[in-house]
Amino acid sequence: METNKYVGESTEQDCPETPALIRHVNEVIGFDSVQDQGAIGLQPLNLSSKEIETSISQSPSDDHQRIQSVSISMTPTPAEIHLQNTKQVLFDRLPDSNGGAMSASCELPKPAKFYSQPIRRFFQDMNSEFETIPVDRYYDALEGPELDTLRASEEILLPEDKKWPFLLRFPISSFGICLGVSSQAIMWKTLATSASTKFLHLSLTINLILWYIAIALVVAVFSIYLLKVILYFEAVRREYYHPIRVNFFFAPWISLLFLALGVPPSVAKTLHPALWYIMMTPIFCLELKIYGQWMSGGQRRLSKVANPSNHLSVVGNFVGALLGASMGLKEGPIFFFAVGLAHYTVLFVTLYQRLPTNKTLPKELHPVFFLFVAAPSVASMAWAKLQGSFDNGSRIAYFIALFLYFSLAVRVNFFRGFKFSLAWWAYTFPMAGAAIATVKYSNEVTNVVTQALAVLLSAASTLTVSALLITTILHAFVLRDLFPNDIAIAISDRRPKPHRKWFNIRNLSSEYSKDIEHYLKFRDSEEKDFEASVKPPGSEAESV
Amino acid sequence: MGDVENKPTLEEVTIHVSITNSTQLVNHAVALSVDHEKTKTLQSHSSILTTIHAGYFRITISLAAQALLWKILRLSTDDSKADIQRMFRTLPSMAFLLLWCLAILTLVSLSFLYVLKCFFHFDMVRAELLHHIGANYLYAPWISWLLLLQSAPVIVPKTILYQVLWWVFTVPILVLDLKIYGQWFTTEKRFLSMVANPTSQISVIGNLAGALAAAEMGWKESAIFMFSLGMAHYFVLFVTLYQRLAGGSRFPAMMRPAFFLFSAAPSLASLAWTSISGAFDTVSKMLFFLSLFLFTSLACRPALFKKSMRRFTVVWWAYSFPLTLVALASSEYAKKEKGGIASVLMLVLSILSILVFLGLMTLTAINNNNLLRKTSDFY
Repeated sequence: METNKYVGESTEQDCPETPALIRHVNEVIGFDSVQDQGAIGLQPLNLSSKEIETSISQSPSDDHQRIQSVSISMTPTPAEIHLQNTKQVLFDRLPDSNGGAMSASCELPKPAKFYSQPIRRFFQDMNSEFETIPVDRYYDALEGPELDTLRASEEILLPEDKKWPFLLRFPISSFGICLGVSSQAIMWKTLATSASTKFLHLSLTINLILWYIAIALVVAVFSIYLLKVILYFEAVRREYYHPIRVNFFFAPWISLLFLALGVPPSVAKTLHPALWYIMMTPIFCLELKIYGQWMSGGQRRLSKVANPSNHLSVVGNFVGALLGASMGLKEGPIFFFAVGLAHYTVLFVTLYQRLPTNKTLPKELHPVFFLFVAAPSVASMAWAKLQGSFDNGSRIAYFIALFLYFSLAVRVNFFRGFKFSLAWWAYTFPMAGAAIATVKYSNEVTNVVTQALAVLLSAASTLTVSALLITTILHAFVLRDLFPNDIAIAISDRRPKPHRKWFNIRNLSSEYSKDIEHYLKFRDSEEKDFEASVKPPGSEAESV
Repeated sequence: MGDVENKPTLEEVTIHVSITNSTQLVNHAVALSVDHEKTKTLQSHSSILTTIHAGYFRITISLAAQALLWKILRLSTDDSKADIQRMFRTLPSMAFLLLWCLAILTLVSLSFLYVLKCFFHFDMVRAELLHHIGANYLYAPWISWLLLLQSAPVIVPKTILYQVLWWVFTVPILVLDLKIYGQWFTTEKRFLSMVANPTSQISVIGNLAGALAAAEMGWKESAIFMFSLGMAHYFVLFVTLYQRLAGGSRFPAMMRPAFFLFSAAPSLASLAWTSISGAFDTVSKMLFFLSLFLFTSLACRPALFKKSMRRFTVVWWAYSFPLTLVALASSEYAKKEKGGIASVLMLVLSILSILVFLGLMTLTAINNNNLLRKTSDFY
């Protein structure tokens, strides 16, 4: 077929260094002016080990000026193009205004379902090809407080304007919703069973309902993510190497701990201690890996990657200690409390320092900052359970949590203007945690002030969760963008070479010169970088 | 060692040189050959002095800590796990005495050599003090002396001799503290974020060793003083080391065994706090668990130490004493807990520590020329 012949011609070209994938995407998407078959064909494409295919766009696009998209499937075998896969090799029809369609041997348009296959194969076949993506790559390619927005100069490996398969759009931060709902269950249980809030006359039904909802959510999210692990392991791997998403790998296990903490008394009075050991094992293994990276890993050291989401790595220790102590265990909870305390102090100091070399700390306030409140409040409760009463150590931790909460609450104005993401659910559990700690404190020191504070914080937490619920439903069913394309997992592992034509076409001359300026200023100034407090956008300042 | 012969040899050589300057061809050849041998021996003697640096005191710390471990294991009076204790009591007391004598012999000779080095090559010693890694190892002799003092089979705490010796060994530690800790936050070039490296924890270990020895004596205030001094700086150091700030000095790959110091400091703090507060309470437990976690975390990363294991150097001795200190802390823990897991933990850690120690002794005996080969001036 002509198509194949055309493709076959290109295989004789040399294989350049840059993945031709990227360049092809550059060319294809960037082209506005007249192209013809020859122009595209002249681009040296590294086709000897890849297949390139496109699909006909699904949206009505007859008047669309651009070629829709390129989906690439890669095979590790450096063989010639498999001719039996001709049915998958398609070329888009160029709009007529741009001078003639391309090869006439196009196949029939494929259904949208088929589209997912090349992406899946892309991820499945990618496993052995690439080594660990260095963390600098994430910093160079992404920006934003959750490091999920693509920088303007970057390209991704998957088409941007197509809706990717659902599993690829399901990030690990979705476990945040489990955290949020299960912490609510614990809060309502505490409110209903504590002596100081008896005056509210709450029934345990709310706790029961919330707990069952939490169980359902946990099961659902676990199974979906398990599917993702099985089918798209490469995407999970890329999430693990993401400096912010890696902390969310603790979230599943913390939600299980929350479920155990919030179990309604009507379901189970006491839990078997063996359950605690089983639940803490994954947390322990993850900790060994991640804290060890902080201590010894070159590119993932704490001064570089510290960000408020790291609190998720630390709070698991305290939650485990709390659960173990309430089960009656002693040594294990103290172990995790000690480890958590040591690493929490390190993290706390690092985040407060706001080191200039720190690349992930959002310059603006963002809901993620509420995670600061999580660790001290849970630590205070854990210490109280370990010691038997809400003693001075617990009070110190609790007051620190309270102070941080208020210092964030008075700045609530600055929390606006952010794109909603499912990860926001994870930031609600600190509020529930603070409320529960206040209730425990008011149990110890019962007076109007503490009780009022308890009610106030619980109300704030409930309000936030309800608002979040409404927003989630809105995004899920009305706006239908609850799971946008997960850019963070599709970044290329090499920076795309800036192509002259591309810049001309994109007309970024002014921005480009600004980029050049920044590049020249910050390129080799590693020492200066230490002092520089402003990180210019898109600069190529290498990490130290 | 033949050090005393050094001086006359020196003079002899100079005399020879002056003789050969006068043209007496008959004696020339003979003189030259004798001269050559003498200079060779002179070089080998002075090369020992130039090779020895404070890092060699790792050996003595390991020996002293091991002696302390054997002493504690033999004397622990736990009854519930009687069979384990019986097994440790069978460690013949001769073996312990032998070890202690070996430790003190090594320490005395090494200290003597180092004193000689101070006399003959003071500039090298001064360079060590200024180096960011070498300066920390200047604590090592005093730590060894303090640990040996504690493990001594004859000296009882509370005697005048013990108290005098404590002062003798602790004052240099305090002086070094003033110098090094003061540098951390006042100098322009050698401040903490620049010089922090895992061996800086040796300064903390020094303070904690002094605290432990003082607590054994019953001098509570001094013990708490040294303890708080050590722990305050440990807190700052721990955070800084975990952050791994980019501007800090590079840590050579050969020194990676020193990473185990991360688990040594909390263990010694746990032991010191136990002595100070009288019982193995929650704080000691938390410190012990922290050190256990850090130890496990490092032990699970063999790839980290691959580069440093290519050739036997004196740095390998850095594996031994952190492990011994963790074993010591676990023995205190087992004494308190009297449970199954605690005793098993103590057993495992003690056996591991003894095995590592014996292994290192064997390797040192086999590789003793490697040991004295100069790898670096400071470590």
